[in-house]
Amino acid sequence: MTGDCGELGRRLTELRDGALGESDCAAIEKHLAECASCGGLHRDFEDLARLCRESERPRMPLAVRLRIEQALK
Amino acid sequence: MAGPSEEPRALLYRALDEHGDRLYAFALRMTRDPDLAADAVQEAFTTALRKFDTFRGESSVATWLHRIVYSKAVDLIRQRGKEIPLPADEEAVLGPEDDRLARTPAWARPPDEILQGRQAREALEAAMKQLTPLQRAVFTLREVDGMSTEEVASVLGLEPGTVRVHLHRGRLRLRALLSEHFKGVPS
Repeated sequence: MTGDCGELGRRLTELRDGALGESDCAAIEKHLAECASCGGLHRDFEDLARLCRESERPRMPLAVRLRIEQALK
Repeated sequence: MAGPSEEPRALLYRALDEHGDRLYAFALRMTRDPDLAADAVQEAFTTALRKFDTFRGESSVATWLHRIVYSKAVDLIRQRGKEIPLPADEEAVLGPEDDRLARTPAWARPPDEILQGRQAREALEAAMKQLTPLQRAVFTLREVDGMSTEEVASVLGLEPGTVRVHLHRGRLRLRALLSEHFKGVPS
């Protein structure tokens, strides 16, 4: 882990958002390939996102839906 | 995207069909209580119908309804008085604690090989309960519902940069909380 890592970690969210320019992306990706700590952080964020996408979303109970439909009449 | 010219009741009925489950799931994550979540969503639709003339179509109906559900859920959390901090109390700048969390050892990979799908999801849900309401809101909207950062900012009334700060902090906390389950080796 180097002095750049703290700042880079913060920019990972911008990277994942596509909010960075080409040269910033290239610099960060180079660092991710070279730094085990930041690379691990990035992969964990990817795994976390995947876990969320695959997680089952609770459905609205029918009784709640009927109450809302009634309120909209 | 349906515009505000569509008859309000028809538009809200359609929104209930298309986004009802997402709105309920969001309210449930925020309040952590099925009764409060039901109240938040019902009140949101009632408010949306009553104040439909304030909807200008600048965002999607789904984004607008998420914003109202969020507001209702926060009100209910405040009334319950059990959970702090709420949005205004949280630091919008990353600091040393965030840097410390970033140094949590990386997970062993892939997590699905360590926990079966259901166990992994239960671990995730338990960890999410330990986030602050704002972190939970940002994380749910961005990572679970797949909204863009700009849409999340619109729902929560924040700047996109502030959303990214809370999202990063939420990710760091979840990663640290889940590291017990997905143990790796120090890097």
